[in-house]
Amino acid sequence: MKISYNLLKKFVDFEASPSDLTSILMSIGIESSVISQGCGWTGVVTAKVLDVQKHPGSDKLFLCRVSDGTKEYSIVCGAKNITLGQTVPLAKIGAVLPGSFEIKNSKIRGVNSEGMICSEKELGLKEESDGIFVLDEKTKVGVPLEKVLGGVDSVLEIEIATNRGDCLSHLGIAREIGAKLRKTVSVPQVKVLKKLPVLNCIEIKSNLCKRYIGSVISGVKVGDSPRWLIDILAKSGIRSINNIVDITNFVMIEFGQPLHAFDLAKLSSKKIIIRESASLEKITALDGKNYKLESGMLVIADEQKPVAIAGIMGGEFSGIDEKTETIFLESAIFDASSIRKTSKKLNLSSDSSYRFERGLGWDIAELAVWRAVNLITEIAGGKQEALEDLHTVKYEKTKIALRFERVSKILGYVVEEAEIGEILRFLGIDLQTKGEMILCTIPSWRNDIKIEVDLIEEIARIKGYDAIPTSKTNIYYSYTANNSFLSSIVEEFRIKLKGIGFSEALNCSFLEVSELEKFGLRYYYKIANPISKENEFLRSSLLPCLFKNLMLNIRQGSETVSLFEHGKIFADVGERKTFSAIMCGRVWHEWWKWTEQKVNPKFDFYFGGGIIKNILPSEEFMIVENLTPPSYFHIGKTAAILFRGKVIGRFGILKPSLTIDIKDEVFYFEMDLESVENICVKKTTFYKAYSKFPIVKRDLSVTADKSLQFAEIEKVIKTVMKSGGILKDYSLFSVYNDETKLGDGKISYAFRLSYRNDKKTLSDKEVNDDIAILLNKLDSDLNVKLRQ
Amino acid sequence: MKDIRQIINEALEKVKNADVSTLENIKVKYLGKSGVLTQILKSLSSYSIEDKKRIGSEANNAKSVIETEIENKKENLKKFLIDEKMHKEKLDYSKSFYFPFSKGSFHPVIQTIQDITVVFKSLGFAIAEGPEIETDWYNFEALNIPNNHPARDTQDTFYIEGMKALLRTHTSPGQIHVMEKHKPPIKAVVPGKVYRNEASNATHFSTFHQVEGLSVDENITFADLKAVLSDFAHKFFDSDINIRFRPSHFQFTEPSAEVDMQCIFCKGKGCRLCKSSGWIEILGCGMVHPNVLKAVHYDSGKYTGYAFGLGVERIAMFKYGIDDIRLFYENDLRFLKQF
Repeated sequence: MKISYNLLKKFVDFEASPSDLTSILMSIGIESSVISQGCGWTGVVTAKVLDVQKHPGSDKLFLCRVSDGTKEYSIVCGAKNITLGQTVPLAKIGAVLPGSFEIKNSKIRGVNSEGMICSEKELGLKEESDGIFVLDEKTKVGVPLEKVLGGVDSVLEIEIATNRGDCLSHLGIAREIGAKLRKTVSVPQVKVLKKLPVLNCIEIKSNLCKRYIGSVISGVKVGDSPRWLIDILAKSGIRSINNIVDITNFVMIEFGQPLHAFDLAKLSSKKIIIRESASLEKITALDGKNYKLESGMLVIADEQKPVAIAGIMGGEFSGIDEKTETIFLESAIFDASSIRKTSKKLNLSSDSSYRFERGLGWDIAELAVWRAVNLITEIAGGKQEALEDLHTVKYEKTKIALRFERVSKILGYVVEEAEIGEILRFLGIDLQTKGEMILCTIPSWRNDIKIEVDLIEEIARIKGYDAIPTSKTNIYYSYTANNSFLSSIVEEFRIKLKGIGFSEALNCSFLEVSELEKFGLRYYYKIANPISKENEFLRSSLLPCLFKNLMLNIRQGSETVSLFEHGKIFADVGERKTFSAIMCGRVWHEWWKWTEQKVNPKFDFYFGGGIIKNILPSEEFMIVENLTPPSYFHIGKTAAILFRGKVIGRFGILKPSLTIDIKDEVFYFEMDLESVENICVKKTTFYKAYSKFPIVKRDLSVTADKSLQFAEIEKVIKTVMKSGGILKDYSLFSVYNDETKLGDGKISYAFRLSYRNDKKTLSDKEVNDDIAILLNKLDSDLNVKLRQ
Repeated sequence: MKDIRQIINEALEKVKNADVSTLENIKVKYLGKSGVLTQILKSLSSYSIEDKKRIGSEANNAKSVIETEIENKKENLKKFLIDEKMHKEKLDYSKSFYFPFSKGSFHPVIQTIQDITVVFKSLGFAIAEGPEIETDWYNFEALNIPNNHPARDTQDTFYIEGMKALLRTHTSPGQIHVMEKHKPPIKAVVPGKVYRNEASNATHFSTFHQVEGLSVDENITFADLKAVLSDFAHKFFDSDINIRFRPSHFQFTEPSAEVDMQCIFCKGKGCRLCKSSGWIEILGCGMVHPNVLKAVHYDSGKYTGYAFGLGVERIAMFKYGIDDIRLFYENDLRFLKQF
């Protein structure tokens, strides 16, 4: 909302400059900024344009001769709208414009310019303006511009909290300033005619209309508004229509009460009915658009049809025009949420609906109608014929008991009773002190004050939040919960993966159905009102987004892409916390020192799997065969993660057809966190005593059938480790599968076995015996033999 | 005969200045078969029993002192020779060092949440979580935002098709969940992802993160809220930064406030980041509205509380000097690797 600094001063007397005013307003919770400075210049006078010629050195510039009545000036000007005979503001040599811009004698493309013809923007009167500022042609020349403009005004843009409909007017803001500065607000005097006939033509058929005041004024002369009215509306961002409409708008910006004027002659009957619309009714509103009404929308109607959408916009055909003689003026109070619902459904909002939605003051409706009647008869002539004021509810002012003790209980410090009283009184609240409390009667416009704590906020707000101390005690107590934002398993994954070059990704949860289908995934949640087609579904896996991130980074030239993400997925069982990682490309970069390194390792199934195995926090997580791999995995290059008998994750290479455009394999890992989140927190590791005796290492090569799963061989090794007691560790260090040398269908594995006795130094014999046991068992159980 | 003490001194002096070749000569000279000390020991038979004992022990002692010293010197000389080779092995430190993996990184938004929650943890807050798919009750009604209230305008909501559900527009429903599960005293923060149906631009995105805070107990006041948030700002941003509380309005708090922090870049003088105001808005807060306490069946006469909510992206953008919120969600490694 835009408000005029000068008009504000008519309601409350204060000294603060526009920019100081914004600070005062901020301190009481109203955000504002000065969008148009008042007189921010010196040395600017009115002048007449005597001659306009093309600039000899430029197509875009003009050479003008202007006069301030005593002297002629030669001015170079670039504005397209300059013409002969205009009255314009001239900044003479030595003038200073906003932003400390001093006008100096200058040469523009070789021609001397003795000043500058100004635009509204250059004068700081508007944020944007097109061309030079053309003044009324009757304006005297040679007069300081600020005098012509009738005391230059500043305009403030003000933002109001949703519960403060009462502030949507000059009076409303003035009341706030008055309370803060402890100054009384003066409301313009209105003349109220006491012995006016009752109109007797209004019928309220819906309780959504709380109060309806109608008044008929005949014999008005519709025409242009006076200059001051056009100007003040322009500052509030409202275009002038005609004197009648302008007055209704003016009263709205003054008092916050939206008014509407109908041309009585255009109504089919002399009856004004306020009712809820039936479905399929239509109306063409003042914006020229047709609206289909739904049943239950509040309308103003004559006996045949709706003539206005109540509180939102009038109908086009019943509007005021130059032929209008008799007007019906409406000042009403409609149900706020009903107006809001209708406005939302019709996608139509206005200055009026904005105010109605936020609630209006019961008393203000009456004040506003008289103010408008006074102004209409004064400006447009005519005679007020009748008035009628109907309500469907009995209005009573809200009364709230405020306990002094409660003020300090909420705010944490004591505000003197006298000060409490003073603040509340300046807010227009009537007070009756009753011992340890005050009974507060809330003015009709403050419908946001409903309960005691609302009054406490008012006290704190007007006194200023700075006055509230910072408590020194009682704010900390011991913290017991053993948790953090990220569960310990996620923290472990993140830290370990970051250490080996992974970057943490963060994606939004929406995607397109095709992005899911590409991976054979389904969706379980669809957004009813998505932002776009690309954001219609909630992800049921982290894969599509990470894959998209991978592609982006490959396109921009990354040779290594390793990313992980943790977040919610939206699956058949609902929201699930999930952790995923994707990796592709070279594991590390070439280095000058390692020229002998021939292999250039890529993220493949075994390396990726090794990373996953390493980040898993305990032995309880086991890597097993992936018996039911999702269709996005390469069926031969995938494995599952088993935790306490349940598959909770899987990893592997993505199906080749998904990665045709990528030259390397893509490794993907995903794990459901819901079932493991709190497990690792409680994990306890017990220390095991280690032997002081040396370890003996032996290498062993065996041949096996290719069809045999390596896990079977491992199982045998582990059995021997458990039974014998001296085999402590093993590692697979080579796999060899040249069938021409090994025989058809054969494969060879080479292990490094570590032996140690916990009590003494091992002898060769002991080690040999243990190896023999192992070989024997491998042979008899699996037909795995020592490689010859 | 030379005094044994004198022999020791003389020998040690020689050892001190010896090099590898002379050291062996010294050993022979003093400890060898016809060495000085050996001679003495050999001549013992000509002394009285008392002298025998005394001289014998002194000579043996001298032998072992000199021997130890020679061995030490030998060891030192060996080390010296090994280290001497270093001078020929000087490497160019400016040639690139190697680590097989590139630098990993944490996402600035997640890291900021971590950093924020760590501070609140140190101020005695527990950490809770809530669902992202919510009901109207948790997201609005219980928070004193009735249907058709203009306050809903500021939180354009995504609805789930075919369900009476929505994507939470703020982490405030977390307040309700926490209060439903626990009895006062409550002191918790609820971080998480939130969604708003609004067009994206440099400062708005349909997905972002918040950290909600809540403390409810007997005798919790606005002064406590000011203390906790001042402490947070000082621990999180800068220990001597000024903050200010401005009145504001939120449906679920009364009184409500917005908190501004003095711009940490210009120290309040006014710069591009704070739009010349010298202040940056960092969070919204207030005293829990009695209607919210009623919604979870708390006695609003007995208990009071405060709540606050921080926009994580906003803080992260400010902290890292990021000018477009959408960068967080592109996951371009050229961006991610900077953190």
